[in-house]
Order: sequence, then structure tokens, then C-alpha cells
Amino acid sequence: MADDKLSTAESLRSTRSYGQVRCMNPSCAGRITPAPGQTQAKCPKCGSEWRIFWINAGLPRVKGPVWETSQRLANERLDQIAAEAGKNEELAKKEVK
Amino acid sequence: MSLDRKVAIVDLTTGKIDIKAIPLAVRKQFLGGRGLAAYLLYNYSKPGCDPLGPDNAVIFSAGILGGMLASASARTDVMTKNPLTGLLGSGNFGGFFAPELRYAGFDHIVVIGKAAKPVYIFVHDGEVEIKDAKNLWGKTVTEAQWAVREELGDPDVKCAVCGPAAEKLVRYANVMTGIKNANGRGGGGCTMGSKNLKMVAARGTMDIKIAHPHEALEFDKRFIEQITSAKVNQTMGVLGTPFIWGATNSWGGIRTNNFQFNQLLNADPIEPEEIDEWSKESMGSEYNMSACFGCQVHCRAKYKIPDTPLARKYGLVGKYDEGPEYTSQGAFNGEPGCTGLDTLLMGNHLVDQYGVDNLEIGSTISWAMELYEKGILTTKETDGLDLRFGNDDAVIAMIHHICKRDTWLGDVLAEGGIRASEKIGKDSFKLLIHMKGMQNLHSDERATPALALNLALASRGSDHLRSRPAIDLYHLPVDVMRRIYSSPVAYDGPLSSDHTEYIGKPWQVAWHENCYMAVDCLGICKYHTTFLGATLPNFEDWAKVLYYNVGLEMTPKDIWDVAERSNMVERLFNIREGMKKDDPFKGEILAERYFTEPCKRGAPDVIGKKIDKPKFLEMRALFYKYKGLDENGVPTPESLKKYGLENLDKEPLRI
Repeated sequence: MADDKLSTAESLRSTRSYGQVRCMNPSCAGRITPAPGQTQAKCPKCGSEWRIFWINAGLPRVKGPVWETSQRLANERLDQIAAEAGKNEELAKKEVK
Repeated sequence: MSLDRKVAIVDLTTGKIDIKAIPLAVRKQFLGGRGLAAYLLYNYSKPGCDPLGPDNAVIFSAGILGGMLASASARTDVMTKNPLTGLLGSGNFGGFFAPELRYAGFDHIVVIGKAAKPVYIFVHDGEVEIKDAKNLWGKTVTEAQWAVREELGDPDVKCAVCGPAAEKLVRYANVMTGIKNANGRGGGGCTMGSKNLKMVAARGTMDIKIAHPHEALEFDKRFIEQITSAKVNQTMGVLGTPFIWGATNSWGGIRTNNFQFNQLLNADPIEPEEIDEWSKESMGSEYNMSACFGCQVHCRAKYKIPDTPLARKYGLVGKYDEGPEYTSQGAFNGEPGCTGLDTLLMGNHLVDQYGVDNLEIGSTISWAMELYEKGILTTKETDGLDLRFGNDDAVIAMIHHICKRDTWLGDVLAEGGIRASEKIGKDSFKLLIHMKGMQNLHSDERATPALALNLALASRGSDHLRSRPAIDLYHLPVDVMRRIYSSPVAYDGPLSSDHTEYIGKPWQVAWHENCYMAVDCLGICKYHTTFLGATLPNFEDWAKVLYYNVGLEMTPKDIWDVAERSNMVERLFNIREGMKKDDPFKGEILAERYFTEPCKRGAPDVIGKKIDKPKFLEMRALFYKYKGLDENGVPTPESLKKYGLENLDKEPLRI
């Protein structure tokens, strides 16, 4: 059995990114490149803020949200959804009339 | 040879032991581990049997690579008819048991019947004995293992053991090995308890011949490099599996307060970095991680319980354990809304010693907490215990009460959610988050339709290890996804790198179902496959590792077919035992709250998410189509024929 050919999984290793984390806001998932040792980072795409932990010098990971920012953004989104729901309700009432 | 390991059929009623060879044809169809366990369970348990009666079987099954030159070839599957769900019960633990079982000359131990008094099974160098367990009964998981080693005069005996919870017939009791390796989610421990079987102890000195040793060594270097170079495994080697919980809680993908919310706010004290710090401090060493047989990742932290008022109250200060895994974070922190590190470490220790499933007990306690806060349970039923969310003391107390069955509520909850809801009444069942009778894990899948689909379809009930396309969350480019999901069978349908989408997900779930089954048949760890990263091994890599180690020349597609066939046997077992797709108790449908209550916490794009029911049902229908099932989820005659299963009912035993 020949073993010289790389499997799909092996060959995908070349596509790995180092030194970056993904924004944990799921639909955003923008790439964030924290400076070495940096302990907080803001997503340039959606504004979410994350606490950073370094597994090793080249491998950051998101430790958790900056809670205050996270809760503020969540509340804003909740308000937005409520407002949209209100608009839809008004629209539905108009349509009934 | 590596293929000459045998199966022992042990009848505890009669004391008869049959030792049989495993025909090569059966091996090629199921390989080993979970696949062969499913085949054996289908044949050795009587249709419709009482899970706690002598007609149920419990199967201990090593993977075909167990103890060989493949990374983390440590896994054992234990399969039974689940006392909790009445459907398939299957769990999988690492540690050192599977290699020892194979060195003792066996791959599978099938236990049927019921012993008149407590016994244990001792497997050693081609022989099997039933021995008196009078001195082991009543002992905790670790006490029993040390006692049997002393009795046998051999410190290297490895055990698959049940704890006090199994002896009390807690329906979600585990089979355990070592300090904390848990064969959870399957009820195997409870079945052992019902049979008066305390443990299977194994000790072996028989060689396993590697088919192509030089090539196997060479390839294993590549295999290990592939595994250890992955960022996910480098992270796991430092922070253990809690890093998964940390990541998921960051965006709001866990459930808290029995599914009312989806993020544990201000959870800093139990974030993985804090656990890691405590592990180092309490063990007095930077080298604080341990591993299973043959694994380079070392994902388990060692720790001692801190000196806190709560730990002092329960006499647990300084007790040693390993983990805690991310499931314990969910069970004892997220679900009941507690942020105490001591609660996590104590809860983890207690379930390891009682031998009970952490997810099921944590979910059940948090369900009871919601019932208490809604007035369905009162202090009368709780024996005065204040079961409000966030009460760390109540969580620890309830673990004891359930495992000992020493209060009314503890006794009722030991029966599992559905039976408990019948006794509690009112609206309690509506608040039970379960699939196929098993309470949910601690994650919240309302923002991830693929993961939600996997939950509903998992053969052992709500589950995160049957088919969880977790790499969905990495937003991989579609061309990368296409490469992964088109191998080893062609797929040119839709794929989406947006994990909130419904499109393309049924195929991903179908693909991962086969991927995880293959891993379980081989007997290697899921963390070493596409479960957590696109660059980790899958079918193409396994074909090589299987050939070099075992000598079986199988293509990636052949391994895929083994997985497909084995999944079909599990499905046939469930159908035989009463599974119907829309049944609220045993069906392949999500709890209603997935469809009706939106997410309220987490990252902005998670807020408001819930599962769209019509789209979910479309996904399920498409999954059935991909898997060769009819519109009710039943294998078609053509599929049965394709996988050689058309005579499974009529040909009960081919071994």
C-alpha cells in the first residue's frame, strides 16, 4: 500500500492560519490578529470584544467575551428584534384592516 | 495475529462460558468496537426484553486497533438495551481497558443472564472466570479497582467497573475504568448492576502481532504528527476539553437554567484557564495533564479539590480526581447556573466515584430546579432543599440523593426524566429537554441547525458524539468543505459554511455519522478525527493505519460501508424496540422549546435564534434519503440488501 500520497486531511494542513483567532460572533467569524501577548481584542468587522489567552507564543485563543461589551451588544440586538417584531405586528394589523 | 482475538459469551444465570472465534467475514463487515457490539447486541438481547432483566445483554467491545500502533487506540464500547430509554444504550471510554482485554486474548465479552449474588468476570490470557464479588459490592469506582488488584495480586489489572449508583439501579449509571474514564450516556452500568455484575477485570500478556511493523511505525509517525500539530489538540493538551466549553460559552452555545438561557454570564471562575491554574497549583507541578493508552495529546488535568466551606461540608477537601471534562462544566455549572469552581470539581469527583452519567444527572437536577422555581416541586418534595438555580450546595446534595436514592426526589430522579415526569405530573414533561428519552447535553443548538439535527437522529438519544459536525463552526471555505465531504463518496450537493444555515447540513450530519462510527469501530479517540478539525485523520488515513497494523486491505470506501452498515444495525435495533420518528418519547424529534423559545443571550448574531420546524423536518427527510431509509426512517429493502443485513432477523448468530 503506497503511503506517499497525502490524504485530504494531511494536505489541508497547509491552509492553517497561525497567530489569529476567529471572532466568536457566529455569523461574523471575522479573523482577528492580536498582537503578541495582547489580552483583549476587538473584532474589526462586528465590534465584539474578546479576552485572549495564549496557549503558546504563536497560538492565541478566545478565553471569553468582555462581558460588558457582550451584554451591551446582546441587549442592543434584543431591542432591535423587539422593534422589528413591533413593526411586523403593526404591518400585520394594517393588512388585516 | 491481531485478528485472532476472540469473543466470550458469559451466561451469569447458568455460569456457562462460550469462547468463539470471530469469522473474518464478520470482521470485514463490522471491524470491531461499536460496530461489532451493535451486531452482537442485536443478536444476544431478546426483542422487547426488560432492560433490567436477564434477557438483556451487555457487550464490552474493544476496537480493532486496540492496543496497537495507532494513536489513542484505547477505546472500549459498552453496549446494552438502555434502562433509561428502552432503546440502544452505548457508551465509549478510553483509558487502558481495551488494550488489556486484547492482550488477554479477547475483543468482546457478551454478558447475558443474571447472577444470583454479586460476581465479577476475570479475563486473563485466553481464559474467562466468574468470581465472587462479595468484597467488591458497595465499593466506589476506584475502591473496587484497587480491591480487585489486591485480591488478584496484580497491580496491572484493568477494570470495567460499575459503582454504587449502578448497584442502586440508577438508570443512567455508567461503566467506568481508571479514575475518571466514563462509559456514559448508555446505561451500561445500570445493566451491570441489574445482573449483579460488579466488573470485568482484564489482565493479559499475549502478544498482538502487527501485520507490517516497519511500515506501521513509519506511518504512525506521520499519523501522530498530523494529530499533534493540529491547533485544536495543542490547545487541548494545555487546557483539556474544558476549552470546548469555554469557546461555546463565549458565543452563547450552551444551555443554562434548563434551556431558559444559552450563556453562563460572568463565568470567569470556571473558565478553562482557571481550571488549569488550579490543577497546577493543587498538584504542585507544571506537568499536570494525563492521557489514555497511546495518546500524545494528554487532555486530562489532574486536580485536588480545594479547601472551601462547601468542600468541607461534604468531606471532599483534597480528594484527587482527573478532568473535569467540559461535560462536567455543563452539568454542574452551566445547567444549574452555578459559577463555583469547587462545585465543578466536587461534582466531577462524585459522579466519577458513584459511577453515574454527569450530563444526565446535571440535566436532571437543572430540570428539577426549573420545576421548583415554577412551583411544580415544593420544599415538601425536595425534603426542604432550596432547589433554586445558582444554589451550588443543592447541586452537590442532589448528586448524593440521586445516587443513594435516599430521598423521595432523589429516588424519583434516579429513574430518569420521563419516568420522573409521570410521578411529578403537572407540566413537568413539557419542561423536560430530551430526545429519545435521554436528557440533552449541555449545549444549545438553536443557532446551529446541523448540530440540532444530529441530536434528534443520534442512535442513543440526545448526543454529541454520534454525528456532530462541529467543524461547521469554523466557517471553512466551501471548497475546503467540498474536499472533506466528498470523500470517500462523491457528493456534489449544496454545502454552506454558515453554521446557522439549513442547506447542505443533512449531508454533513450523514457524513459525520459514518465518520464517528468508523472511529468507534477502529477503537481510536474522536478527538483524533474530523470531529474537531479539518486537518485531523479520517477515512483515507484510517485505510492505511488499518492495513499496516492489522493487515486488512480496505479502501476508504470499504470503511465507510462498515460504518454505514453498523449505523443501520443500531437503527434496526431501535426500530425493533419501538422507535417511531415523531414519537415524543422515543422519536427523532427535538424538544418543542427548540422551535418556540428563542435564544436570549450570547453574541449578537445568536440572539433570537430558534430552530425553524418545517426546515428541520426537511433536513430530517433529506438525511433519511441519504442514508437509504424510507420516509419513516426505516431502512429500505434495497439498503438492507446492499449492506447484507436482509437476514439479520432470521440469522440471529453468525459467529
